Amino acid sequence: MTQQGGPERSVHELYRDDPERADALAWGRRGVLKGAALAAMGTALGGTIPFARQMPAGLLPAALAQGQGGPQFLEMEGKARLILQGERPLNAETPEHLLDDDVTPADKFFIRNNGSVPEAVADPRTWKITIDGEVNTPIELTLGDLERRFELVTRRLQMECGGNGRSGFSPQAAGNQWGNGAISCAEWTGVRLRDVLRAAGAKDSAKFTGHHGADSHLSAQGPAISRGMRIEKAMDEDTIIAIRMNGAPIPQMHGAPTRLMVPGWPGSLSQKWFTRIELRASPHSGRGMGGTSYRVPVRPIVPGSRNNGADFADLESMPVRCVLTSHAHGARLPTGTRALDLRGQAWAGDLTVSAVHVSVDFGATWQAMTVNPPPNRHAWQRWTGRVALPSDGYFEVWYRATDSNGRMQPHVAANWNPQGYGANPISRAAILVG
Amino acid sequence: MRGALLAAAGVLLAASAVLAQDPDLARRQAEAAAAIAGRAEEETVLAEGEGRSEVFAYCTVCHNTALIRRSAFTRDRWDELMDWMAEKHGMNPLEGEFRQAIVDYLATHYGPRQRGPRGGNPFLD
Ligand code: HEC
Repeated sequence: MTQQGGPERSVHELYRDDPERADALAWGRRGVLKGAALAAMGTALGGTIPFARQMPAGLLPAALAQGQGGPQFLEMEGKARLILQGERPLNAETPEHLLDDDVTPADKFFIRNNGSVPEAVADPRTWKITIDGEVNTPIELTLGDLERRFELVTRRLQMECGGNGRSGFSPQAAGNQWGNGAISCAEWTGVRLRDVLRAAGAKDSAKFTGHHGADSHLSAQGPAISRGMRIEKAMDEDTIIAIRMNGAPIPQMHGAPTRLMVPGWPGSLSQKWFTRIELRASPHSGRGMGGTSYRVPVRPIVPGSRNNGADFADLESMPVRCVLTSHAHGARLPTGTRALDLRGQAWAGDLTVSAVHVSVDFGATWQAMTVNPPPNRHAWQRWTGRVALPSDGYFEVWYRATDSNGRMQPHVAANWNPQGYGANPISRAAILVG
Repeated sequence: MRGALLAAAGVLLAASAVLAQDPDLARRQAEAAAAIAGRAEEETVLAEGEGRSEVFAYCTVCHNTALIRRSAFTRDRWDELMDWMAEKHGMNPLEGEFRQAIVDYLATHYGPRQRGPRGGNPFLD
């Protein structure tokens, strides 16, 4: 049993152990915040809380919901100050407010490595990829062959880690504790995978793919990761073998010189340092397939429980999500600010986004934002809008997207799974006016 | 005329040089990534306690301690992860007393905690 209410205990610890009790203990709060309790909470947060009445009990305000010790940042030539998730393997998340560009520049592109970053190749033109398995004629193509023999297409494609949003899961799920920043929408140039598969003579028996890249496992034994998908996705016109990103050669950190781009599905399918694709009659069995890897429960399981994932299903199209890029979490605005011009991006796997709503009163009321159509299928969508603020003080901007099938981001991360895939809860950014 | 042609050729060359990548940037990024991944760690980055040396020695062969330090799991989930690492990632299976000592350490020092969705407190501190 832990002791309650000792003066040395932090607000975080109180909330961790028993949120409702913490509310009462820390703020003398029962049901709603008022009087001295409200003043106390406002002081702790550095301002007043104008919408205290709508704050659900036991809900730790976004500004308090923090880990210990601030984040560390990546320092690398050609990369912005990304949030370092880990050094080995090297993983880094793009801070949400840096995702404002419609086309994600190379420096603001998140980094996810399952293994070690390979050495740069001396002559990219000699890089070869192999197409084999359930095909009439296995073929080998150099980068030069790809450009010469097939039609080049250029598309803006959103690509996000299957675990984006993982930090929303409670209890914690294993893996990089991403916020919303493991997402990108760069402009990719390459050849359609289906054109290449047809050139090799894909057989009718080809039902699945298996992807291979040049990065090695952290243990130096075998490949870092090798995943595959249903043939239907391989035949989608937006699934490409990319040779350029934003009009330039693909950066080393992002899979030079060729990368598979499988937009809208877990990023691990978009094999970096791409060397080979096999067509298969049965699902691929590479590292990163089966069990709990990139798979989610079909029948929801108790959060935190043990499960080997045998009857989970592969995560395919990613769920709807949006980011707020106009205001950083923790932004402080001048006294007297009474309106926020908000802006961000929204996307929904293979679907599109039909609406984005914002609340500045803890979800009591929601306001529709303007959502632009995507410039092409599988590109993210710009959203904009203005919300009014009634006074100075502490606010949270809650933002929520709805996909073209009418599904909204849920209030909390849903369908808990051990490795934490597919979390897309409504996000909250703390703002202080004055 | 000749001058214009030469200038045009120069522009073309410059453009293809851009497309030919700055091979040196690729090399420097790969080296920077290797340097970050290779950063040495001291055992003391892990919480002090019985079993720390064993965990540090056994668990930093493939990855660094960042993966452990950011984790907050129950004993049961730590135990499950030991099997996952062996089955999926080729870790030498942990058994018996040694396994117990390692899982005890992890569960004691990296047990469940409530964490917020974002890092760094914007208005406190
Ligand atoms: C043989 C190599 C190897 C050894 C030894 C190893 N691991 Fe891992 N472990 C991995 C790999 C690979 C991953 C997946 C990394 C990734 O995908 O980012 C992983 C993932 C993890 C994760 C998953 C959660 C996360 O945040 O990514 C934790 C926690 C972890 N390891 C802890 C440990 C502990 C504790 C030990 C010692 C008992 C250990 N590991 C030993 C290879 C290993």
